[in-house]
Amino acid sequence: MSKPAGQSDATGSEDMQSFLNRSTSFTLLPTPLPPDHNSHLHDLYFIDSVTQDSLAVIDACLHNCYDVSRAKQIFETLRKSPKAEVVLDIRLYNSLLESFIAMATSKDIDNRLIWLEDACTLFNSMETGMEVAVPNATTYAIMFSTWLSFNPKSSQPILPSDIGMREPPALLRGLVDRQIPVSHIVASRSISSDKEAADIIKLLSKTAVDMNLVSVVDELGRTQALGNSLFPDPLRDVPEAMPVLRPKEYDPTLGEPFDPNDPDQQEIPFNLEVLRKQLGQLALARRVLPDDVASRQKLLEDSVYEEAAERLKHQAEVFDKLGLGDGSLRGSHLQSWMWEWHQKLQKRLKIEIADVVKKEEAIVDSKANSRLGPFLSLVSPDKLSLITILELMRLQGSGGVSEGMKTARALLTIGRAIELEHKSEICRRNNITIPTSNPQTGPGYFTKSGYRDLHARRVAARKFMEDSEEWAATWTQILRVKVGSFLVDALMDVATVVRSTTIKQTGEIVYEEQPAFFHSYEYLRGHKLGVVRLNPEVAERMSRDGLRETLHPRQLPMLVKPKPWLSYDQGGYFYSQSSAMRFKESQEQQSYLKHASDQGNLELVYAGLDVLGSTPWQVNQKVFDVVLKVWNSGERMCKIPPAVYDAPEPEKPENYEADPKARMVYLARQKAWSQGKANNHSGRCSVNYKVEIARAFLGDQIYLPHNMDFRGRAYPIPPHLNHIGDDLSRGLLLFAEAKPLGASGLRWLKIHLANLCGFDKGSFDERAQFVDDHLADIYDSAERPLEGNRWWQKAEDPWQCLAACMELRSALESPDPLAFESNFPVHQDGTCNGLQHYAALGGDSQGAQQVNLGATDRPSDVYSYVAAMVQERIKSDAAKQVRFAMMLEGKITRKVVKQTVMTTVYGVTFVGARDQIEKQLKERKDIPEEECWLVASYLAKKVMECIGNLFSGAQEIQTWLNICARLISKSIPPARIPAAVSAPQKKRKTSATDSTKDEQMTSVIWTTPLGLPIVQPYRRAKKKQVATSIQTVYISDPNAPATVNSVKQASAFPPNFIHSLDATHMMLTALECQTQGLTFASVHDSYWTHACSVDQMSGIIRDTFIALHSSNILGKLHDEFVERYKGYRVPIAWLKSGTLVKQLAAREHTTSDEILNSAAQRDSVEPKEVGPHTSTEDLLEALDLALGSEEDLEEDEPQEREVTPTEAKTETEGSGDTGPAVSKRKKRRTREEMKASYPLGLGDELKFVELTKLLPTVPKKGNFEVNTVKKSLYFFS
Amino acid sequence: MLCEARVWRSLLKRAPRSASNQTSTSSKPIFRNPHKASISCSYSTLPSNSGETPLSALHPLPEESEWKRVFSPPASPLILRERISIRNPKTARALAEGFTNWTKPFLKADEAMGRGRAAKGAPKILIEAFPGPGALTRALLTLPRDTFDRLLVLENHPAYLDYLKPLEQIDDRVKVIPYSGYSWDTYSMLEEQGWLDDVPKIPWDDGVHPSLHFISHVPLSVVGEQLMNQFLRCIPDKAWLFKYGRVPLNLITGEWVWKRSSAGPMESARCKLSVIADATAELSLTLPQERLLPYVEHFHPLVHTAGKPSKKPVGRKVGHPMVGVSILPHEDQAIGVAMLEKWDYCLRRLFVLKGQSLKVAIGSLAPGAQSLLKPLTDPSLPPEQRLDMNKQIRRLDIRDWALIIRAFNNWPFAPEDLLIHDTYNPGSRGGMHE
Repeated sequence: MSKPAGQSDATGSEDMQSFLNRSTSFTLLPTPLPPDHNSHLHDLYFIDSVTQDSLAVIDACLHNCYDVSRAKQIFETLRKSPKAEVVLDIRLYNSLLESFIAMATSKDIDNRLIWLEDACTLFNSMETGMEVAVPNATTYAIMFSTWLSFNPKSSQPILPSDIGMREPPALLRGLVDRQIPVSHIVASRSISSDKEAADIIKLLSKTAVDMNLVSVVDELGRTQALGNSLFPDPLRDVPEAMPVLRPKEYDPTLGEPFDPNDPDQQEIPFNLEVLRKQLGQLALARRVLPDDVASRQKLLEDSVYEEAAERLKHQAEVFDKLGLGDGSLRGSHLQSWMWEWHQKLQKRLKIEIADVVKKEEAIVDSKANSRLGPFLSLVSPDKLSLITILELMRLQGSGGVSEGMKTARALLTIGRAIELEHKSEICRRNNITIPTSNPQTGPGYFTKSGYRDLHARRVAARKFMEDSEEWAATWTQILRVKVGSFLVDALMDVATVVRSTTIKQTGEIVYEEQPAFFHSYEYLRGHKLGVVRLNPEVAERMSRDGLRETLHPRQLPMLVKPKPWLSYDQGGYFYSQSSAMRFKESQEQQSYLKHASDQGNLELVYAGLDVLGSTPWQVNQKVFDVVLKVWNSGERMCKIPPAVYDAPEPEKPENYEADPKARMVYLARQKAWSQGKANNHSGRCSVNYKVEIARAFLGDQIYLPHNMDFRGRAYPIPPHLNHIGDDLSRGLLLFAEAKPLGASGLRWLKIHLANLCGFDKGSFDERAQFVDDHLADIYDSAERPLEGNRWWQKAEDPWQCLAACMELRSALESPDPLAFESNFPVHQDGTCNGLQHYAALGGDSQGAQQVNLGATDRPSDVYSYVAAMVQERIKSDAAKQVRFAMMLEGKITRKVVKQTVMTTVYGVTFVGARDQIEKQLKERKDIPEEECWLVASYLAKKVMECIGNLFSGAQEIQTWLNICARLISKSIPPARIPAAVSAPQKKRKTSATDSTKDEQMTSVIWTTPLGLPIVQPYRRAKKKQVATSIQTVYISDPNAPATVNSVKQASAFPPNFIHSLDATHMMLTALECQTQGLTFASVHDSYWTHACSVDQMSGIIRDTFIALHSSNILGKLHDEFVERYKGYRVPIAWLKSGTLVKQLAAREHTTSDEILNSAAQRDSVEPKEVGPHTSTEDLLEALDLALGSEEDLEEDEPQEREVTPTEAKTETEGSGDTGPAVSKRKKRRTREEMKASYPLGLGDELKFVELTKLLPTVPKKGNFEVNTVKKSLYFFS
Repeated sequence: MLCEARVWRSLLKRAPRSASNQTSTSSKPIFRNPHKASISCSYSTLPSNSGETPLSALHPLPEESEWKRVFSPPASPLILRERISIRNPKTARALAEGFTNWTKPFLKADEAMGRGRAAKGAPKILIEAFPGPGALTRALLTLPRDTFDRLLVLENHPAYLDYLKPLEQIDDRVKVIPYSGYSWDTYSMLEEQGWLDDVPKIPWDDGVHPSLHFISHVPLSVVGEQLMNQFLRCIPDKAWLFKYGRVPLNLITGEWVWKRSSAGPMESARCKLSVIADATAELSLTLPQERLLPYVEHFHPLVHTAGKPSKKPVGRKVGHPMVGVSILPHEDQAIGVAMLEKWDYCLRRLFVLKGQSLKVAIGSLAPGAQSLLKPLTDPSLPPEQRLDMNKQIRRLDIRDWALIIRAFNNWPFAPEDLLIHDTYNPGSRGGMHE
């Protein structure tokens, strides 16, 4: 492995090492309270839905002064509530002030004095420190404008003393005292015109001169100079070539706020816009963006709905011109349908909304949350209409519903889209200057000063953004559903298509006008599931016609570097809000992220995401051409599904009616066929999106903004075309920058090509040789991809293989292959990355060898190894005439077992493994459809048996993690102990275990080495029924507290923990690659860079892995638990529900009563703890048995239980070994006996053990030395 | 029923396919020649009392207190724990008599007896599925030989077989078939083995079948309702045993399944099953329900009161009241031949909205299904072919349903693919987590 020379690298990894060894700063928040409880502390961190709703109503009522009185009224209530401190921020105050002034100025002149007085009273209260919020630049700007408009010498004079209006000197004094630069007042977003800005400068100057504030006068002079300077208008040269939206014909009437053609803006010498832009630059010391792309990006995000409407209209006109205007034919084009619906829907909405508003005005009852009018008035009816249509079309096929979607999701998504559109309208109106990321300079990411620097810069940028942002509230789920259902209901009513069909008997063609969307219900495992479906006619079109109209920029790559992450909800796209983390409907996760961000714990996480987002990409034109040809041909090729499903429909047997058995088999096959057809359709739609996007961005340099899941794994936000997607997506993408190959790069390109072909088991030399041996094929593939012998199509990843063939051929054909400028991404993949982390964590030498942590000549492949083991067993079973074994003989490939082996370390269950294997078997197509399920059950068992002891090191750590999680999720925070003690007395009827269950609120939380807090979201969320005009939908309220699902908390912890580690490893690698100037991209455990950089990146990958695993990860995790859960206690009753106590007693040679008595005393709120004589080792074993699977059994799917025991019996009896199923049975029996002999004692519900004392000690590390990885060739390969 | 495909195939390899009276040398024959049995039938013409087998002569069942230990040990699989069997011999006898007597009024004796087995003087073949330990089997065997001359017992659970198999030695009418009544294969096998060769095919309009009768306990599990449903759904296309004619059925099933299957349009339990039952057969209680109450006095297994409260629905909890049901297929079938799928589809779709009026619900039948309103309400139609669109789905009677399905069938835009039971396919676009 060649390493770049020089010291910087060495110190770099030392810095990283010491960074990882530092004591991590934890984000500590209170554990959520059980339902119906609250406390002040709790309110600080968790907002409830009622409050959130109030905020949303204020927001909507303030918008365009819809109902300012009502907003004021709700605000007053909130202001007095204990939640004020958390939810009321300065931007909300400013919005109120602005609305009051607007009422006084234009909307309600009759009551001018009252409104002005309200504004002044509120401001004075802020100024005197009576409010939660402190005035900022915008506040003062508003007050200065107010003075300008209403001072005694103005055209609308008012006596200041009448309304308590402060005069300019007082205002300026406050401003100066708060150290707010006057330039920020002038540039404030609340100042709407250049003239107003100039007037304010005049007013401020005069006042400052009067008050003899020299520095202020100076600053104003500079500000004026900036505003007057010649600065190119950023929008003057907006290029016509708009990606996606081309051809662009901009319509100035559509309300674009900064229209270059507007003469007013150019005549006035003082240019507010320029000032703002310059100030932004000064404040952030940033590099200026190339204006054209920046403004293209802005327009791209700006005008999506207007553009979509334009395009639809245009299409409809074209069809009209072509004489296709008659109903039936015209109805066959998606675009003209959409245009038609849009025409009808916007008219309809206008009328209906007006009606709603009128009706709601008549209601005197001020029940805050029941009105829709304010929210429906936020966005214009034509936008509402288009958003509804586009979102509904886009959601087609989501959530596993073919040709449709779940109703709840549809309504939520549309509601959310309206909310987002409202927010981005605000965002665009304010035209916030975009800070761009500055390349990391100076001391590096991992030094203290470097970290501080990052933090300071981010805070500055964030402050700047927030100051200049208008306030908008977040909607609750229910509100989103209500708005969504109003819109969808209207759409369903107006949107129709004309369908035709041929009557079979007569051959006559008949037409019928049908709704384009309809809703119905499905039963899913006994639950009623509402779905919205597309008319088959429409769905059919979705897989053929152009779809780009349905895409929002939120789903597209960006043209400029994404906005760096400034806070948990600031970053990525410029004008659409996105979140740094994808929350799983968990307010707790959001609170933790927000607070970690506020505390400055996330700098490197943000920096990592920024690095990933700043990698420039481009579309691979050569591959695109081939894809397009295949797509247009409508034929099946390499995972591109055919336009017409090509599998033969199963034949109906003759005895179908009379023979129930024949009928059953036929139905099974028919169902599989229909499923295949549906999948074909959704596959076709998905490829359609990719092709459309790739086409739109041909020739552009594009960026993929990233965010992460709750474990910290990074994902590109645009969902359709990205490098994390399938083979086709990856084949379509190249790095935008090219670098000369060099000798090593050429070799890596070859190795990569071999890997893509599936030839990845040999040594590197063998792989390179493989490519040399196939050069003729490679050339043929590259030159005649469709006409030649199509060698590339046999590859495991055909499209990437084709791309690689083309690249290699171009390199070899160039005059100097070593100097060839290649922009091809070469991958280095972890070989079973989860196990690699486990092996390193446990110092497990054997495991380390299996997954290539050790130095070897040849790669070891754990999947093939397991496949061979399984094959052996199948063979011996087949010899015994076991039917399934006979069916499976010779069919156990690496591929069949791969996913199951991989996911074993992530805790896959038998059911999960069976499903994975069933899928693989079905794909093979050599096992009859109706047999797959049973065969998969048999095979899954074999595979899991084989894996069994193979990874014992991993298993020990898994067990440890699992026990910790079980204990944590069963613990109660100190503050709740008194309540937990009193609970059982209140509810005598229920058993002791149940009554305290309400208090089970603690989720497992840990911090990654980068400082990211990870909160497991698994709770028993209660779904709430919401009746809408369409359907009754069930949604959960993420703000409503719910008890934890301790089974899920425990079983998901090991995999989540390992994922948080692999995410950390990736982020460290990304940061280090950025530092060393390498281009980097990742798909979790597959790291990509230029061919010539692979050696260097390989070094980095190993260094970061070593640094990570040298930082005592498990020890630190244990320490964190001890700190985080200090004082938390586990009720004895919950421990006793298993066999813990008996196990413990046996080990301690004492009786269980003694242990329990020494552990806790009855009726004691501060109970004694379990005696120190209890070794944690024993506890570990005891807990394993005790808590092992008690609840798993309880919650198992019944079918699993029905099948396994009987089959396990017949099979294990024969072979004489004890499989997992048998030991489970034994366990169950022991447990039943135990339970009988150890009933709950009286008063057990009142006893507690301290959690931290129960936590088992960290498993001992083996003797594997993680530094060995440096010498491993195939660790990542 | 899929689950037992495996059993069937392995059986094919071992068992002789037909009843070719060979007591093979290599492997033990599993089945006796059925014709042997028919020879013994001649005894059944003896006066009834002398034909009765006294209960005491039969291989005895364990003491009541022993049943739990013998038949449902603690770790027995769920599927077994949900199998309810009669324990009380008196009750068993009462049911046995009830089951064998009720069809008499429906027999067109003079005609039917003149054909097939009856012509040869042989009375009836009983098929008993899910006998469990065999209390009902024993009760049946106490009945005189002129009631039936062959009892085919379908049971595959070893613990039960231990107590069923010996009955073959004591009464030559008995034949224990060691396979489950749950699997269609078992019935195909009965035919292939020749056990039903001498069953005459009686035309549908020729009254109830005189010489074939099916009796079964229905497990309490979710399989139970499915089983009832499956049997009934074989009627319209004359599948399964119904290819022989209007074969009567007797089921011992949970009250919950009974209520659901027998609910009329005005009852709240009205469901898809009730409509199918309504359309295909006449259902009645064989004995007054009180005769089988309380549960603990009559059935096995006993209720486990200890332990955690079960999350199961009431209708599936052990201890739920049981009933004996008599089922006689209608002579006139509302569901036409090969129309079952359309019925299923419409019932499934519309019953999701069972509380809604037809006017509201019909839209969710298929895209554009609103246009069915026209043929259903057309004023030019005679009143008996028109439908009240304000009727709630669960209030619709069979005539209403028949009209709806007819309109659906005539609608050119009716979806053709009615077979996908759920188009919901989790995992087709999975989430991002493993």
